[in-house]
Amino acid sequence: MTSSPATPSPTGRRAVRSDERRRGVLRLASLLLAGIGAIAWLGRSADPASRPLAAGPLSLGAAIALTGNANLYGQDQRIGLALAERWAQQDAAGGRAVRVWLEDGASDEPSAIAAFNLLIRQGVIALIGPTLSQQAFAADPIAQRQGVPVVAPSNTAKGIPQIGHFISRVSAQSSVIAPLSIDEALRRDPSIQRVAVFYAHDDAYSTAEVQIFDKALAARGLTPVTVQRTQLADNDFQTPITNALQRAPQLVVLSVQAVAGGNLIRQLRELGYRGQIVVGNGLNTPNIYPICQRWCDGILIAQAYSPELNTPINRDFQRLYRQARGDRRPPQITAQAFTAYQVLHEAIQRLHSKGGLTGVTLGQARVRLMHELLAGRYETPLGPIGFSPEGEVQQQRFYVAEVRMDPSGRDGRFALVGQRSLNGARP
Amino acid sequence: MIEALLQTLLNGAASGGVYALVALGYTLVFSVLGVINFAQGALFSLGGYLTYLLMGGRIGVNGALPGWGLPAGLPFWLALLLAAAGSGLVALLVERVAFAPLRRRGAEPLLALITSLGAGVVLVNLLQILMGAEGYAFPQESGALAGLPEVLMIGGARIRTIQLLLLLVCSAAVVGLSLWLERSRGGQALRAVAEDATTAQLLGINSDAMVRLAFVLSGALAGLGGSLIGMSVSLPGPYFGIGYGLKGLAVLVLGGLGSVPGAIAGGLLMGLAEALVPAEASGWRDALAFAILFAVLLLRPSGLLGRRTVDKV
Repeated sequence: MTSSPATPSPTGRRAVRSDERRRGVLRLASLLLAGIGAIAWLGRSADPASRPLAAGPLSLGAAIALTGNANLYGQDQRIGLALAERWAQQDAAGGRAVRVWLEDGASDEPSAIAAFNLLIRQGVIALIGPTLSQQAFAADPIAQRQGVPVVAPSNTAKGIPQIGHFISRVSAQSSVIAPLSIDEALRRDPSIQRVAVFYAHDDAYSTAEVQIFDKALAARGLTPVTVQRTQLADNDFQTPITNALQRAPQLVVLSVQAVAGGNLIRQLRELGYRGQIVVGNGLNTPNIYPICQRWCDGILIAQAYSPELNTPINRDFQRLYRQARGDRRPPQITAQAFTAYQVLHEAIQRLHSKGGLTGVTLGQARVRLMHELLAGRYETPLGPIGFSPEGEVQQQRFYVAEVRMDPSGRDGRFALVGQRSLNGARP
Repeated sequence: MIEALLQTLLNGAASGGVYALVALGYTLVFSVLGVINFAQGALFSLGGYLTYLLMGGRIGVNGALPGWGLPAGLPFWLALLLAAAGSGLVALLVERVAFAPLRRRGAEPLLALITSLGAGVVLVNLLQILMGAEGYAFPQESGALAGLPEVLMIGGARIRTIQLLLLLVCSAAVVGLSLWLERSRGGQALRAVAEDATTAQLLGINSDAMVRLAFVLSGALAGLGGSLIGMSVSLPGPYFGIGYGLKGLAVLVLGGLGSVPGAIAGGLLMGLAEALVPAEASGWRDALAFAILFAVLLLRPSGLLGRRTVDKV
């Protein structure tokens, strides 16, 4: 069979198709390049940092976890921010209005990055967030590169302020707080020798905090008899718990997030563990009560906030909290979110009264705000705080609390059992 | 030594039973439609929340109706059955919305993966809007464990009573479903549709009805699994079913796509593989389990008990 001149041979058809494909790919590539170029140009010209700071209210961006596994914390933070806005409005006369733009930073790194990018593009003067340390290590460098001040309300892992000079936090580092609860456990039972440690090995906060616990245990002459590594999304702990119980621990130390922690406590008790349980900062939320219920009773936790602190700002904060949530005590994470807003608000008001926000671009205002923030001293619900030049919170008072559940086992409270000032004195 | 082995077997069987249950749900839909319903994990979550509400649980402060709850709670077992039925009905809705329109237009099966994934995401987000983000635990006093000890010792190994119960219910559901598929007319009709929908239709079987039945059953299995897990480890948030859904998907592939005995064997193998991971490497449990999956698929690409398919030329 011969092919007619009008019908190309199979080889010819393949060549024509390959040619068309190549041209299509080239066209697509040029379109993509043109698109990227246009977006880059538009982005450059739309960079809000180079624009003059507009008159009127300033915007703070808050990227917190409203969805995903960390939303238990995010919900508490949202309340703290709302209360802080209400508190700021009480004596707003003559000051510069500050409003919060809330963005869902979800519970993973890409979402936190997207939320930071969006808020920065919207022209916020500073950022609050993200909820998890793990997210902060991914999102904070973006704010740092663009010169946007960040105040972390709940990142306790080592190295957060060290990300850059625009990054600060009001959440004290685990190394300061975590060992206090071990001291309390040893005070209650000095015979403790056998310690089991559980932590989520795929979480920056847990892995950082467990090192602190390890050091604290070693400093007190204790070596863990078993270390069980869990994962962030775990809920069923039958296997690690039965493994650990074979070593007959007298003290269990947990450094996991709230939901997993609540489940771990419940399952530890159900499987017969009766010794003391010390938990890390991840469980510093009343949202664990519905999960571990009556089994939460008696767990020890070190805290950076106590509802029992009798200062005007803490009384104000608690009054606002009760108005919003009924007769409950605010948790640490809500107090820290409130504080994050408060310190930024006060720094903005000081800068405003000095005229530091007049005739400057947004980028310049951000730099000035960061200097003002770090230079200030603040009376907050957490007690008096300030910042190191690096952006690390300098807090005076820390507490140890014991969870006491009510007889129904549905609700409880963090009851203060110890207080420690930074010089180590125990009141 | 024997105690440790028994403990490992119990730990593995307890988690493997749930994996098998989730994988069975996938299997039912896959066998009749040849597609995977990615909303299965969301249905798992839904089942847990429905049981909680039916038992008289109240919506938390972050939900759409804080403090709302049914005036009276049902006993756990009744709530469990109703929640499974409810999840089955929602699965039917997912079929109508995410699968049926594509099927009617003869669309690529891949598109159904995306629409079902979308339906799952919407479902989980609706749950979050309605129930809030907080965790919930079933009221124990009205639960399945009233009067029973919290932990049982079996030959020196310990297991939480609820987990043993979970294992028994999962086994009963799996055996019941297998028997129904093998012995009943409905089950045989479903298998006929799975084998060849067109021929089954010619033989007088309503293929569409069988597809709907497969979705209802798979949703009910997911709802059952979610409720049992909710009883065992609480409801940690609307997303908790997604993780189980992914594990069930791995089990489905491990056991062999569309194979009911494969889903059971795969679930148990996955559970045992996880339980065998030593304490020092317990954080790498998923990695090891998936490495086993990888190895099995290298040796048997059709899965443990899957049938090899021969492409006709």
